Amino acid sequence: MTELVVIGAGLAGLIAATRAAQAGHQVKIVAKGFGATHWHAGSIDLLGYFPNETIAIQRPLDAMRDVARVQPQHPYALLSDAQITDALKNFLALTREIGLPYVGAIQDGDNLWLPSPVGAARPTFLAPHAQRAGDLTRAEPMLIVGLRGMRDFYPELIAENLGKQGHPARAAFLPLDLITDRRDITTVQLAYALDDPARRARLASELKKLAQAGERIGVIGPNSVPGIRLTNALCNHLRQLGARVDVNMDVIAFRAEGDRVLWIESEASGRPLKHRAEKFLLATGGILGGGINTDHTGKIRETIFDMPLVAPRDRGQWFRARFFDPAGHPIFRAGIPVNREFQPVDANGARVFANVWAAGSTLAHCDPILERALEGIAITTGSAAACFAGQK
Amino acid sequence: MHTASWHSVGMTLDECIKCNICTAYCPVAAVTEKFPGPKYAGPQAQRFRESGQLKSPDLSVDYCSACRVCNEVCPSGVKIAEINARAKAQIVAERGIPLRNWFFGRNEILGMIGNLAPQIANLGFHNPFSRLMAEKILGVARHAPIPHWSTRGSFASWFNRTPRLKSENKVVYFHGCSTNYYEPEVGQAAVAVLEHLGYEAIVPPQNCCGLPMLNNGEFPAAEKLYRSNLAKLLPYADRGYPIVGTSVSCVLVLREEASEMLDIENDQTRRFKNALWDLSEWLRDLHEQGKLDTNFRELKMILPYHVSCQARAHRMGRPSLDVMTLIPGLDVREGNAKCCGLAGTYGYKSEKYEIAMKVGADAFRFVRAQGDDARMVTSDSEICRWQLQHGTQKLGRAPIEILAAAYGLYDLDQRRLNTVALQKSSL
Ligand code: SF4
Ligand code: SF4
Repeated sequence: MTELVVIGAGLAGLIAATRAAQAGHQVKIVAKGFGATHWHAGSIDLLGYFPNETIAIQRPLDAMRDVARVQPQHPYALLSDAQITDALKNFLALTREIGLPYVGAIQDGDNLWLPSPVGAARPTFLAPHAQRAGDLTRAEPMLIVGLRGMRDFYPELIAENLGKQGHPARAAFLPLDLITDRRDITTVQLAYALDDPARRARLASELKKLAQAGERIGVIGPNSVPGIRLTNALCNHLRQLGARVDVNMDVIAFRAEGDRVLWIESEASGRPLKHRAEKFLLATGGILGGGINTDHTGKIRETIFDMPLVAPRDRGQWFRARFFDPAGHPIFRAGIPVNREFQPVDANGARVFANVWAAGSTLAHCDPILERALEGIAITTGSAAACFAGQK
Repeated sequence: MHTASWHSVGMTLDECIKCNICTAYCPVAAVTEKFPGPKYAGPQAQRFRESGQLKSPDLSVDYCSACRVCNEVCPSGVKIAEINARAKAQIVAERGIPLRNWFFGRNEILGMIGNLAPQIANLGFHNPFSRLMAEKILGVARHAPIPHWSTRGSFASWFNRTPRLKSENKVVYFHGCSTNYYEPEVGQAAVAVLEHLGYEAIVPPQNCCGLPMLNNGEFPAAEKLYRSNLAKLLPYADRGYPIVGTSVSCVLVLREEASEMLDIENDQTRRFKNALWDLSEWLRDLHEQGKLDTNFRELKMILPYHVSCQARAHRMGRPSLDVMTLIPGLDVREGNAKCCGLAGTYGYKSEKYEIAMKVGADAFRFVRAQGDDARMVTSDSEICRWQLQHGTQKLGRAPIEILAAAYGLYDLDQRRLNTVALQKSSL
């Protein structure tokens, strides 16, 4: 019998499932599709900004304690130092084990600064080993190389922006047909193409010609490939731990008796498929990930269990007037309120179900994108929620 | 073209958020530059198809193998594979169908003809010269694993020839063309297991599910087949008999694909759908009700299990795996390759054979990685088993053959029923 069903295959769900499986539990992931790992940079943002502040955070672990003081309901405020350290250590060990080691800044506990696809300095906490050369605290000048004809990557823009911020950089182009016959290519297809050693060698030899002594080279930035790699490696690891990972499972119903959920049901080609388990962990994402949805009347719902939510009362309050308002938009803070054990609670703080936990962006009182905390929240709360679920 | 409205499937294209996750997972786009990927061929090109031009704007959609991996990973529920299938149908409606694809669509008739004199048919077709000619003239890939006609006679003739168990509990068996003409053993194993469990197997007249035609864009012909099966089988569904199949792809077509792609959803199709089961799914359900005999004998073997793309498309979990894990001693290992590459009739086409083999590389690697001790490989789709056998030289066996062997009814090496089972059925 499945002990724990994790709903959602984003980072929060994958980490929660891995922790539970490592602890020897029978785990199954039931997910509609994959999560934000597929369009984010694949690095681990722990905490980059406080709401209303435009100065980025240098020491995120320290800053997380400040979050706990100013925003006592923030998911980070629900975690102890030990839980946070444990989650991050476990993640680092896990990435080594699955062959995709992540690294942090040279100065332990600092944020890393990596160039974004428009050349902004992006604070993040851990990054795949291969991205480390992009650390903007290093002094070597940069050569940003694009493939001519590739969309969504503009070396000149990146180099210019980096230069304005005091990071010497110049741009160069190579022809796309160096690598592919396609006229249009996505980063993922490019990555597949570069799996071929011959094309990789061609690229390397052209890059050598372009680079000057002492330069470091940045190529083809846009996201998703590292995130996809991480997802695949985590899914494979889960399978090896004996867990099931089922995607394309759209949960359409559930059954509870008393304060316990007995099963959830997903849509299928024939009859709906029941997933029975002793425990359920919600990691379905927030309003952007589909864990929380709205209808045309402006009603906001949690999509699986219709959990009580913390959300703006009416549509007029979803957004602030300015798109880039540093305070962020209230709708992105909509989410499930939980207690210290990461169990969803109602408006009175009473636990909704005895055997349901929640983790990741579906949690209320945070704006993971504005705060640059998306993966950090996923990893720390996913890990903590799984540990609590395992103890019960 | 075809009478169906484009609505339900077409509507989903507005859900596309352009994330390109489908492109990242499409196994075909990963190995060939001839196919731009699901987002481009599907929701994107579809915008240009609906504005009523005379010519389809994008022929690359022909390279879509219909594996549905894109649907599986799309976070927005876009029915990309269906959009592609309809686009192919539109191309066929505009330009006609290549002779080869016409033949592929009629694999049931080919099965029937070959079955008249299977030895001669095998000899006639499965020799290097004929295969070379078939490639040159028709574009049927010379090395592709096209099955041999069964020399043991069709499944249906075996079924009618041998005495059958009678019982209150009846189950209808849908065998599909490949079991009938190429692998009757699979059907025999299914019937033996059903009878072993005390069910009377009924095999009513039935015809090809229509999958090869749907995949080759022959919608009107596919619709005829679907409606014919509906007429033949619905009376059994209405009597409350479960209709089980051993070919996941046939069951998928009957249960969902045909009615969805052809836009024929009504009360009848729903009743039909509700009666249909993948056999493993049905056995798993029996087990969940505590009614499955789990008195298996030990099967000491390592068995790689390739999850076929059609099994995934059912969204029913891994019923074969669930049931096979009940067998003591059996070390079933689930692979995670996306597709074996063959995908219906895709890998049989000469211009696509290489692509199919490249797509299958992950699956082959997984199967081989299980070592020499693993002599067999299993998958829910016959197509995958043939392709894996072709790519790895291991023996392909259906999950139901494995189960029949675990019940002591079946010899996996010889691929035939044990005498016990034969005696039992003649009781
Ligand atoms: S059905 Fe398969 S081959 Fe076709 S676009 Fe989707 S993933 Fe690619
Ligand atoms: S995965 Fe779905 S939403 Fe994303 S680009 Fe493909 S069809 Fe569109």
